[in-house]
Amino acid sequence: MSPLVRKTWRDDRRAIIGWALGIAAFTIIYTSFYAGFQGAAQLKDDALPEGMKDFLSIQDMTSGAGYLQATVYSLVGPLLVVMAAVILTVRTIPRPEEDGGIELLMVNPLSRRAFAAQRLTATFVTVTALAAIPGLLVLTIAPGVGIDVPAANIISASAGLVALAWCFLGIAFGIGAATGRRGIALGVTGALAVGTYILRGVSGIVDGGAWLRWLSPFHYFIGTDPLHTGWHPAHLLALAAAGAVGAVAGVVVFDRRDVGV
Amino acid sequence: MLWHMTDDIAVRTEDLTKFYGPRRGIEGLDLEVRAGEVMGFLGPNGAGKTTTIRLLLDFLRPTRGHATVLGLDPRRDKAALHRNIGYLPGELAFPGREKAADLLRFFADSRGGVAWQTVTDLAERLELDLSRPIHTLSKGNKQKVGLVQAFMHSPALLILDEPTSGLDPLMQQEFLALVREARANGQTVFMSSHVLAEVQQTADRVAIVRDGRLAAVERVESLGRRAVRTVEIHFDGPVEAAEFAVLPGVSDVTVSGPVLRCTVDGRLDPLIKAAARHEVVDLLSTEPDLEETFLSFYYHSEGAGDVPAGA
Repeated sequence: MSPLVRKTWRDDRRAIIGWALGIAAFTIIYTSFYAGFQGAAQLKDDALPEGMKDFLSIQDMTSGAGYLQATVYSLVGPLLVVMAAVILTVRTIPRPEEDGGIELLMVNPLSRRAFAAQRLTATFVTVTALAAIPGLLVLTIAPGVGIDVPAANIISASAGLVALAWCFLGIAFGIGAATGRRGIALGVTGALAVGTYILRGVSGIVDGGAWLRWLSPFHYFIGTDPLHTGWHPAHLLALAAAGAVGAVAGVVVFDRRDVGV
Repeated sequence: MLWHMTDDIAVRTEDLTKFYGPRRGIEGLDLEVRAGEVMGFLGPNGAGKTTTIRLLLDFLRPTRGHATVLGLDPRRDKAALHRNIGYLPGELAFPGREKAADLLRFFADSRGGVAWQTVTDLAERLELDLSRPIHTLSKGNKQKVGLVQAFMHSPALLILDEPTSGLDPLMQQEFLALVREARANGQTVFMSSHVLAEVQQTADRVAIVRDGRLAAVERVESLGRRAVRTVEIHFDGPVEAAEFAVLPGVSDVTVSGPVLRCTVDGRLDPLIKAAARHEVVDLLSTEPDLEETFLSFYYHSEGAGDVPAGA
């Protein structure tokens, strides 16, 4: 492993541990409370208006799949994972560029492209591991608490969460590497995440708006209802491809611009 | 050494120009740094020194013109070039919150393995405690970490931006010793400064920039003769400015009551002889900040005409 990749991990150590603990705690708490929530879930299920459930892509909260969908996979789970991905990604280039530390990182005998690619690689590995946490924990906990969803379906939904994180990682990296500005990368990617999340919800409740969901990464992640229907590799590939386009664009633009102006 | 020297020039810039939008960084810089020499790069803050350095290191891309460093193209050959360059940034910011030793180990590893003994020897000479986390170090100690990483791999070319800033006088001497050893070792040193004195002690030649342009390149010996100093003399009673203004080499005479201030170009003797006719209470002679007088001297002697920045 290259010194720069190791250095990137070492500098991100605290943030990585914090996000890992947060994501794990959230997943463990929600998943293991399934048994206790069943009664309450029925109440919630009755109380929530149909439109709201459509918006949150919740079909029913009483079945195991519905419960997982409503808790881990629909709002807070993707939100945490996407936030972690974006926040860690702006630490690759924009943050050191703004605080000046990038000069001493770039005296590394590496080409510009290799430098950007190594920073990206380190964070890609980190984000992939963080995004895999919910899936691994759900797989472990679900059978014990009576959630009767096939492991293959949990894995496919969880793979979607990882692909979703890649998508936003790539976009955040592209913007950050191209501009060198943390605020722009965080702001634009964050707005994009919230906007496309809402777009997907709206597309389900507005007449004639169904096509809009194809513009939202969240549709490719959860719109196919993987907890019930299993693998949809084309959708996941689309997410990964979107991220890859952002990442490659970031490396190319970074190679061509002034750094630390 | 790995580098492919096509001649005895370590750094060559031709019409090197950088604009930040409409704002000028450096314009039309033609400069040669010979292999094995120590070149001082002088100019007031904002003259374009850091811009030039960052162009040589490929952090910035020129608007026009180009630079050749160790016979290589800074952009195309960045990886090979940086293996043979030691760079000290003018504004030091360290990535991460680790101990000085851990950060320096990262630099050692990324340069393909530098003997740890070299690092500890340098740290010892500079009296740097490697076990402290970087962010807890004082400005001077941070500067030492920057110096250690620049010198640790014995690079063919050292590019140092304001290397002595933050160092106490003792450490400045130690730094100057490091520079002399580097030269004796065949390394080339290109160091910027806005203080003439520190460059005078080690450099073979100095290049002077002003307002983004190269004003002069001189051998250091010829600078000595032009040394301008400011002198302040306190008398026990009021004196006449006119009495001193006529003396050779004396200019900018101001008198407020018993205190005379002036600048002296060349020998001090005429001024001292004239002052001795009065009762002298105190005498203060300082080498002026380059920014104030030295460069304006060059500037005006070139007949450029307008008022220097900060005057």
